Amino acid sequence: MDTEDRDRTAGRGRSPVRATNGESAREPRQPLNALDPGYESPGYWERFHAAVMQRAAFELARRRRLARESVAAVLSGWSRSLIPVGIAAAVAAALLVGSEVRNAGDATPPLVLEDVLASEVEDRALPAVVNGQAPASPVAFMVLVEGNVP
Amino acid sequence: MKDRSDAELVIQACAGDRESFGELVVRYQRPAYSVALSVIGRHQDAEDAAQESFMVALERLEECRNPARFAGWLLAIVRNRSRNLIRRESLRRGDEIPASASSSGPSPERAADISALRGRLTEALNTLSDVQREVVLLHDLEGWKHAEIAERLGMPSGTVRSHLHFARKALRIQLSEWKDYGKGV
Repeated sequence: MDTEDRDRTAGRGRSPVRATNGESAREPRQPLNALDPGYESPGYWERFHAAVMQRAAFELARRRRLARESVAAVLSGWSRSLIPVGIAAAVAAALLVGSEVRNAGDATPPLVLEDVLASEVEDRALPAVVNGQAPASPVAFMVLVEGNVP
Repeated sequence: MKDRSDAELVIQACAGDRESFGELVVRYQRPAYSVALSVIGRHQDAEDAAQESFMVALERLEECRNPARFAGWLLAIVRNRSRNLIRRESLRRGDEIPASASSSGPSPERAADISALRGRLTEALNTLSDVQREVVLLHDLEGWKHAEIAERLGMPSGTVRSHLHFARKALRIQLSEWKDYGKGV
């Protein structure tokens, strides 16, 4: 069993393309396998991997801790900003609703058509009409109106 | 698990997921070792450099701006780290991976043959340029395709083919002078 077979048995391909790399078939490949430490030492790459992972354990743990802390920091940051904003919004909403309720009591009366027509018109009501002494005859009324025109 | 992309594994590893980082190590421990060996040329130091590069990569995962290109990024770390180790002449020789007690290793004769062949191969590889060594090891030892090497080393595929061609030619010349080359291995 050569190194490649051992790797395959161990579930570790040395390269995804190693077995199919025939693109330079025109040139003889140099037999460099002897330079592979795993060539004469079965399990060398497993030990290499284990050594790297052992040395990496502390840094990986530090990164996991940082990742956890950063998630907590984001959440607490949100809470720090969202809670005051939420409280302020609630207070503002309460004040707005309260003022609406207060204003509902002294609401202005609805306008009527006569008021709209009479608004901004100079007061020239005939005293006879105001007093209820206007003549019933249209002709007499017109005479009365004509007599009051300046 | 096997279908997860490098990008997914990197993102999970960033959050400290042991399984994801372990899968990245499985995928790239051999290429990392090959690149380190291509730079340093000595097994023990290459092993140290490759392992330390994984540690550096883990500590700097946030700097991997394109997680889909993790392999190229990692191999650049391996290359730089290996060069720095050589430059500083402070290669660490500890932390040798202990062989398991139950390991069914080769016989002393075969081990000697392998050791001799390894020495010869290393000598031959040392006659190549850095990039030629890297390309020929990734292609002929790790089985990467031209396109994979090109993408991960950031060079045109034609350049990879060229490096591979000249590297093989040089290796053939070097190794043909060794009459017992390849026998018994």
